[in-house]
Amino acid sequence: MGLLVSLLLLLAAAPAHAMHISEGILPLDWAALWFVLAAPFVVAGVRQLNRLSHGDLSFKPLVGLMAAVVFIISCMPVPVPTAGTCSHPCGTGIAAILVGPLVSVVISTVALLIQALVMAHGGLSTLGADIVSMGVVGSFAGWGAFRALRSAGLGLGPAAFAAGVATDWATYLTTSFELASGIRGSEPLIPLVTKIVLAFVPTQLPLGLLEGAMTAGMVTLLARKRPDLLVKMKLMTIREVSGHA
Amino acid sequence: MRNLHSHIPRATHLLAGVDPRVKLLTSLALLLMVVSHRGIAFPMVAALIGGGLCLSIGVRPRLLLLRFAEPLLLAVMVLLLKGFFSGSEPLWGGSFAGVNVTLYRDGLMEGVRIASRIAGAVAVVAAVGFATPFTELLAALAWLRVPRGLVEVTIFAWRYLFVLADDAQVIHAAQRNRLGYVGFRRGLRSFGTLAGALVIKAFDSSQAMTTAMVQRGYDGTLPLMQHRPFRVAEVLPAAGVVLFMGVLWRI
Repeated sequence: MGLLVSLLLLLAAAPAHAMHISEGILPLDWAALWFVLAAPFVVAGVRQLNRLSHGDLSFKPLVGLMAAVVFIISCMPVPVPTAGTCSHPCGTGIAAILVGPLVSVVISTVALLIQALVMAHGGLSTLGADIVSMGVVGSFAGWGAFRALRSAGLGLGPAAFAAGVATDWATYLTTSFELASGIRGSEPLIPLVTKIVLAFVPTQLPLGLLEGAMTAGMVTLLARKRPDLLVKMKLMTIREVSGHA
Repeated sequence: MRNLHSHIPRATHLLAGVDPRVKLLTSLALLLMVVSHRGIAFPMVAALIGGGLCLSIGVRPRLLLLRFAEPLLLAVMVLLLKGFFSGSEPLWGGSFAGVNVTLYRDGLMEGVRIASRIAGAVAVVAAVGFATPFTELLAALAWLRVPRGLVEVTIFAWRYLFVLADDAQVIHAAQRNRLGYVGFRRGLRSFGTLAGALVIKAFDSSQAMTTAMVQRGYDGTLPLMQHRPFRVAEVLPAAGVVLFMGVLWRI
């Protein structure tokens, strides 16, 4: 029976874009709860965005373009060998690393809003839930992992890898909880969460590692080709750049 | 990206002249009714109205199917999951690949309820999405007091989305021509390079765009579309639709 549940969820996971919760799947009370939880982070993110853009007029356009990049990355199919399907990375890990977790929440919100309105991926009623999983939890998990490992003296590549993995897995765990809350009906919540988490393991475990590898690839490419950008974003010091060169 | 389509650019369709704020408010009211309804019929009526509106404004059936494909697949999966794996009143039993499976009446009903909610909600949002240019929707969101910073960033993202998507396609084609994506490890490296190149393009384009905008008077705030006053001729029918649906929702 468990095998059948896994098969069904895997079939559902194959065409899913990142792990967005579809429009209408959450009942009103749960949808409202996730909006309430997401709102303070979005407001704090917009405040930080406004503060930073006062000193640098190019910051808002940069955040907008980063949102477009996150949108495009989260639309790119990545083959998942263990599941034999394609899935899609979140892309928020790199945004959190480059511009910080609060502005990354804004970037995720923008990407999710566009996907909801023009592609029917995610939705307006589930925007709060998707912001919490991909924007808030994903961004903070990725940023936290990156900062912790950099403080511990790890290089850019390994720290970025860990950030990508943490972003993907944290998003997936949160989305599983949100999905279970939406479809459980009168069933107990925790067993259903466990079922969904286990069913997505064959797809999401390797996908998290792939997202980590891609995030590391992106950051090392930036360090190699455009270290000035990493200095501007305070990810490297000028002394590190000189040493790198 | 293949089903990234904005509104239907036919200026003569039924909803073309309607104020985007009216369309947005009406669709949000209907969306609220759909997700708060505990039955099956009301979301299905909303789905039929939303789908019908999309077709009547000139959305091609293939495009509509493409837009509905993912949410409807999820709806079917939820239906199967709830029908076979939750509930207590057996409706049908059988064997599948050596495993005994049971379809439960109450689980199936719950699944149909969620699936109809998904169909209704997706149809309502699709109708407003197809009937309204995205930039007009953003102006309507700003009027609804969505933080201005968020709206401005969305405008920048929307403006450059297609440019960056084109760049991504060019880089992808160039990588394939140079044996990128051959094998799993090289595929990963190619993907990382592609994403990194997009980030670099985003940085450079944002600098160039800011320089160009500052020369044209940009002071950190984007001017948004000015709304004209509401017209009775568009508010009254919208209020009528919401009222009618509200009555159906109560029934």
